[in-house]
Amino acid sequence: MISKVIAILLYLAVVMYLGYKGWKTTQRPTDYMLAGRRMSPWVMALSYGATFVSTSAIVGFGGAAGLFGFPLLWLTFLTIFVGVFIAMVGFGKRTRRMGLSLNSHTFPELLGRRYRSSFIQRFAGGIIFLFIPIYAAAVLIGISRILEISLGVPYEAALVFMTLLLAAYVITGGLKAVMYTDAFQALIMGMMMLMLLGGTYYMLGGVTEAHSTLASMAHLMPSKLQLGGMEGWTQGARFGTPLWLVIYTTIVYGVGIGVLAQPQLAVRFMTVHSDRELNRAVLVGGIFIPIMTGVAFTVGALSNAVFMEKFGKISIAMAAGNMDKIIPLYIEKIMPPWFAGLFLLGMFAAAMSTLSSQYHVGGTSLSRDIWENIKGREASVAASRFGVAATVLAALIWAWVLPPSVIARATAFFFGLCAASFLPAYLLGLYWKRMTKGAAVISMVGGFATSMFWLLFVHLKEAKVIGLSKALFGVDSLASLAPKGSAMWLMQWVDPNVIALPVAMLLAVGAAYATQTMQREHVELCFENIR
Amino acid sequence: MLGFDTFEPAAALWLCLAASVWCVGYGLRNWNNKGYEAKPRKQED
Repeated sequence: MISKVIAILLYLAVVMYLGYKGWKTTQRPTDYMLAGRRMSPWVMALSYGATFVSTSAIVGFGGAAGLFGFPLLWLTFLTIFVGVFIAMVGFGKRTRRMGLSLNSHTFPELLGRRYRSSFIQRFAGGIIFLFIPIYAAAVLIGISRILEISLGVPYEAALVFMTLLLAAYVITGGLKAVMYTDAFQALIMGMMMLMLLGGTYYMLGGVTEAHSTLASMAHLMPSKLQLGGMEGWTQGARFGTPLWLVIYTTIVYGVGIGVLAQPQLAVRFMTVHSDRELNRAVLVGGIFIPIMTGVAFTVGALSNAVFMEKFGKISIAMAAGNMDKIIPLYIEKIMPPWFAGLFLLGMFAAAMSTLSSQYHVGGTSLSRDIWENIKGREASVAASRFGVAATVLAALIWAWVLPPSVIARATAFFFGLCAASFLPAYLLGLYWKRMTKGAAVISMVGGFATSMFWLLFVHLKEAKVIGLSKALFGVDSLASLAPKGSAMWLMQWVDPNVIALPVAMLLAVGAAYATQTMQREHVELCFENIR
Repeated sequence: MLGFDTFEPAAALWLCLAASVWCVGYGLRNWNNKGYEAKPRKQED
């Protein structure tokens, strides 16, 4: 216990020093919101990766892999190819260049200026400020659960402690403090994950042996999961069954594609000086991301084999049905005590790096994209700090009220909502000169509305918890009214994004031909740095 | 097949490795490629 506390104190000292360094060099709004547009590729890439991958990915999705097994590696593939390569090369370079032409400080401001629309900037800022605290709350829950299990800290006390700690350096140091600390945290996370992977494969007798052990355990899959379509941890789920839909539409597709329209990630493209930094970041991200998500999902799946060998139970049974507890329990029960201390640091790092970015992007959305936009004021550091403080408080309140086993789902929810609301307008705004302001508005509002409708009335997991569908129509999901086993009935397990993103894209393209084109001079300005 | 009894997890694992190698190769090939210079339209802040 003492070694864990010492390690945490040392880690916190470094984080606070880096936060102080960020605060010392933050004077202008561009420093606070875009790290002065002079960030190094290493810091940018590690910060991008550490923000992208959090306790949500490690604890939440690692736990989901403990339940669903190796099919989650498809998400790892998407996080590398889409989340790193497509994001940085296809989106990052144009985002940086257009952001420079339009002097944009935030992701909503980039959209707003691209389409010359205050409504778009406020609408995007509003979605981010209202919903990112839910995603942040999921991350906060993850790290607080780990503190509860590892150090015996009361859960509520852990929530408050983590919140105050992060608030101290994010509110004062802005994006520089966030990115410096992110990069340091990424290095710790990478080291821990490699050790975790090596240790797990070693315990199971090597790579091939470990996989075949898990493959031979298919008959141990709980009957409830078998009824939902699961065949085994390496075999996956039967096509078209409810659990197949959960794995591939919510987890793999929702998160894998949703990454492209994440405001807290997109803003990082505007923090570097040239394309060179983004090119180098592709290399760093291409190594870092698989070490994070690939290891978490592999170890999550293999935890079943290890738990079975040591305790005669599969992971979800060990965790008493709460999949968010699978990875923390695995570390506590299986790994040596010295590693549990080190891993705790890694989890601290993962949670803090994501939370700090969420607080920052939520705060700048409130200050820059809503408050200053309505008031017609210039960007200011003081307003941004106030916005960040409001986001921190909102996340704490959500963390208090959200139900258990929510981490992976809340992450997928935010990723999906962002994709449906922003992706068509963002993508077409970067690539298509014909795209219009009216089409962007219709696509964003339509994507958001479709996504929310699906969440409130169709997608069973959320609709059941929220209860609006039950109150209005007497059923948890409208899809349950369809004949059992029909395609319409299965819709209750289809992620909102599967429907909302194509709808938003169709609305964008269709409306672009039906609405007034934008002024040619303005379009030329937007694309002046893009050849 | 890396010890897997079905094709799907093995394919996912190999694709992850291939995507990672692709990113590393791209980064190395364009290590010093700054692209054409982009200029801000107006003075910041």
